[in-house]
Amino acid sequence: MSALGHYLEEEGIATVAISLIRPQTENTKPPRALWVPFELGRPFGPPSNPAFQRRVILAALRLLERASGPVIIEDFAEEDPRAQPEPGWHPPPIPAASVDGSAEALAARLESEIPLLQGAHDRWFTRHGRTAIGLSALGIADCGRYVADWVRGKAPASPRDGFSAPLMLRFAVDDVKAYYLEAGAGAEKPSSRQLGDWLWNETAAGAAIHALRTACLASEDERLKLIAGNFMVPAARVRSAS
Amino acid sequence: MTRLTDLPPAQAQRLAELECPDFATRPWVSGAALSRRRVAIVSSAGLVVRGEDPFRGRDPDYRVIPAETKREDLLISHISINFDRTGFQEDWNVVFPLDRLNELAAEGAIGSVAQTHYSFMGATDPVQMEPHARELAGRLKQDAVTAVILSPV
Repeated sequence: MSALGHYLEEEGIATVAISLIRPQTENTKPPRALWVPFELGRPFGPPSNPAFQRRVILAALRLLERASGPVIIEDFAEEDPRAQPEPGWHPPPIPAASVDGSAEALAARLESEIPLLQGAHDRWFTRHGRTAIGLSALGIADCGRYVADWVRGKAPASPRDGFSAPLMLRFAVDDVKAYYLEAGAGAEKPSSRQLGDWLWNETAAGAAIHALRTACLASEDERLKLIAGNFMVPAARVRSAS
Repeated sequence: MTRLTDLPPAQAQRLAELECPDFATRPWVSGAALSRRRVAIVSSAGLVVRGEDPFRGRDPDYRVIPAETKREDLLISHISINFDRTGFQEDWNVVFPLDRLNELAAEGAIGSVAQTHYSFMGATDPVQMEPHARELAGRLKQDAVTAVILSPV
């Protein structure tokens, strides 16, 4: 990000960067940056809080009016109030995990769990008017089937021209995760940690993606191993056995 | 919750110490008051308009996001899965603050909002991005942009 600022500024365009990782910004020395104390992925702070976001963006833009520089790195003082857990949040009900941890059982659970969450996902969409599902360009049921077939070890062909099977697997896993994170919130506002705990520890999708990661890492297909190692389970959620 | 300190130590250190070109210059462009600036967003979140080709890896080029893009049509295709996406899922302004910019323009706090915004894929080597960034500067000038807010994830 800071490098982009450098290139654009050299071409005559004034820039100000939001910084989420202060040491990185200190190393790269952009013309102007506002460091924010928010979690990665939230450069302008809490969702659905226009007043807070406005304070962030104005604090950044006002650095453009400073007469002296470079380099300017300033800190934004306010914490993201949505980083705190929502005590009243309850995830949508789903069946408890089965003791049968076989690939077939995991795949079948994933396929049957997805439609159970449709009502919760509808509540999400009604409240927020958007969804981040879409990288695979498959419907969510087809996404679930595609991922489930990989869990079963079938290595299904890509259903989309121009996209390899491993790439489609990555995008389908992304879409399944997006669906669960949206359905998990429904019409409520849990923290990202609450949603992540639920997805990775309590759902069939979490269990299936963990198992899929383990299976693909054992593959001889280097591309599949790359996808599995980097693009399925967040580093903070990887279990020692997976 | 994915602060740097929540990541495994090795990965947190890698991010904090990410290599960057050692620039020989320290450019600095001054300009008019904020109320006369035309502002564009340049994101490194791997943003893509629904239906267009997502970033597939460390692609060095950028995607175009017209100002009339609807909030339900902006997706993240960044290759990293180690940052929070739930904020963006709920409200695109968390990453792409177009609504906030439009409000600031309407009340005169900034001059205007660019007709087009852009996204790179931030995990790409900056050296590979350089020619695309310099070409992008030309596009921004054609749109009379005088300030860019750089939005990472």
